[in-house]
Amino acid sequence: MIDKIIMDGLAFAFPLFIMAVGGIYSEKSGITMLALEGIQGFGAFTGAVIFTLLQPILSEGAHGLVYIAILMSMIGGMLCAWLHAVLSIRFRVNQVVSGVVVNILAMSLTTFLTGLLNEHLTGEPSNKIWLGAAPRFSIPGLSKIPVLGAFFRDIYLFVPFIVLFTAVAGVVLYKTAFGLRLRACGDNPESLDAAGGNVSRTRYVALTVTGLLTGLGGLFFAFSFSANFSPMIYMGYGYLAIAAMIFGNWDIGRTLAACLFFGFARSTGYQMILKLGMSSDLSDLFLMIPYVLTLLLLTFFSRHNRPPRALGVPYDHESR
Amino acid sequence: MSGFKNRLARLYASSRWSQLAITATTILMTFIVVSALFILIGRDPLKAMYSFFQGSGLGLKPSYTKQGGILSDFFSFLGILAPMLLASLGVVIGLKGGLFNIGVSGQMLFSGFMATILVGYADFSPAVSILLILIVGLVCGGLIGAFIGWLKYRFNIHEVVSSIMINYIVSYATGYFIKTKYVDPIIRSSRAVKPNARLAISNVKLAGQTIEIPIGIVIALLAAFLIKFFFDRMVPGFEIKMVGHNRECAEYAGVRINRVMIRSLMFSGMLAGLAGVTYYLGYYRTMTPKDLASLGFDSIAVALLGNLNALGCIFSSFLITIFQKGAVYMGSATGVVREIASVITGILLLFSSLGDFIKAKAESYSQQMTFERESREEAER
Repeated sequence: MIDKIIMDGLAFAFPLFIMAVGGIYSEKSGITMLALEGIQGFGAFTGAVIFTLLQPILSEGAHGLVYIAILMSMIGGMLCAWLHAVLSIRFRVNQVVSGVVVNILAMSLTTFLTGLLNEHLTGEPSNKIWLGAAPRFSIPGLSKIPVLGAFFRDIYLFVPFIVLFTAVAGVVLYKTAFGLRLRACGDNPESLDAAGGNVSRTRYVALTVTGLLTGLGGLFFAFSFSANFSPMIYMGYGYLAIAAMIFGNWDIGRTLAACLFFGFARSTGYQMILKLGMSSDLSDLFLMIPYVLTLLLLTFFSRHNRPPRALGVPYDHESR
Repeated sequence: MSGFKNRLARLYASSRWSQLAITATTILMTFIVVSALFILIGRDPLKAMYSFFQGSGLGLKPSYTKQGGILSDFFSFLGILAPMLLASLGVVIGLKGGLFNIGVSGQMLFSGFMATILVGYADFSPAVSILLILIVGLVCGGLIGAFIGWLKYRFNIHEVVSSIMINYIVSYATGYFIKTKYVDPIIRSSRAVKPNARLAISNVKLAGQTIEIPIGIVIALLAAFLIKFFFDRMVPGFEIKMVGHNRECAEYAGVRINRVMIRSLMFSGMLAGLAGVTYYLGYYRTMTPKDLASLGFDSIAVALLGNLNALGCIFSSFLITIFQKGAVYMGSATGVVREIASVITGILLLFSSLGDFIKAKAESYSQQMTFERESREEAER
């Protein structure tokens, strides 16, 4: 049972984490990011579409197909994030509003296009794109360790990518000149401008990263939880990632801790329902737990939080 | 060409016409994009557009059922227009104070649920039930709104995050109770409320059609005018606007920001609560478990399209409801997936969010033109 808690918890925490890192990139550069929900859904959609379209052609090397889907989901997420970027940087739209615009457009467009696609492919307007079981692997040796081995058993193929990308994202954000510029952009864009940096360009790059990372997170959710893409993907994971980011005080390490906490809280709840053999009605009350916990924990952690100072303020070159 | 550009800039920048011009542009742009979308999937855009109107009782359908007709369609349209308008007014009150109440659908669900179980299954006379339902709606919605405001002021929790969390909590909690206590096993949603406890007058015969007159629309229109008055003529309304425009300035002027923020979210929640009861006990009579009404999110688009103006919301809710309500008929008439209605709402929202930018651009352009003209005249002199 503990194995199961660990495995399910990680399967939830990892996609949440990569999305939260995406959110950190955006908000550290000074752009309020409420569009994670829409971006992850759009990324999952593009990944799922390419997966179904290529499946008949590339039926053999299934892993290769997943790699292509991963790439496409990242590109899809990037495109969706660019909409948010253009609206909030070029057109100076209120960033909260812009986030909602992106969410509504992504949700409705993916649902609409899924129906359209299914009509063309199968003749019936179903709102699901089937993906099948997600590829997993175990690390030989390490996975044999009792209890702790669960961390290395049946790992989703996405996990190594997430570990790699978030590690690179962390190093870039905290250890490179570009990362310093990006963080300056969110705290004090005037100083960046005075030092010869380009605020708008830095923010565009930051949002590109957001889109790339968040799109992958969305595809992971589509694969691991339902084995299909459907409007069910808009279950609020994007907002949960935002909560994790705030909870982690916009710091990648602390955000990872928050995501792991969410993941394990959720999987423990599930396993308890199974263990106690409760009716499925009660599972609704258990599914409520992560949200209640989030709210409760935010009451403790929000007060001492320090969001980036220039968050949500469109940069005006002339008001310096 | 520059003359045309000049005139256009002056139109967008003029204090009198700018709002109208920007709204018209928004609708025109949306119309163009949506038409292109319809053409792309091989449908006649004009016919598809008209079918939205037919579905909303604003145009004659080729055929009707025995009891139905254009009037029954139209009153049904008014029935869903009422919660849309009320919800958008709720969003407006929040946004005027710089607070984004994205939890409208959760507040609607909670107040609708409470009104259903407290009043919907009891035996009161119609007048008493209606009064009680409205009170329950106001109180429940207001409580959640005030709670979100309190979390913001006391614990510095962003209202968007907390209201989303509350959305899910309410959705799961009410879903559990509906499924275990109030379920109708055949339709798998809550048992229908008693006929006396509905915010609608059913089975009215008019011109041979059976129509249902929604009470909510009267309340919604009344609320719109009240809110207009509240923001234009009353001190608390002005304080909310002050906080929304510039928090530091308002504080310096002696406004108690925390109180105003809580109040603004409470009012916002109260209107969302009213929207909830008119939705679940007016337009519908049952509640599906774990179903957050998409109307709550559409109302954000309505509020923005109405330019955060209570009377503007009457117009914009009318427009967006045409697409949402007419989508079912449009789907059966043209065979296009119904979700296109939400796509249209999204595109409308996208263009309306650009309104401020267009206005600012036009203002700076016409200022520059004026400046150039003056300096030219000066040089000639």
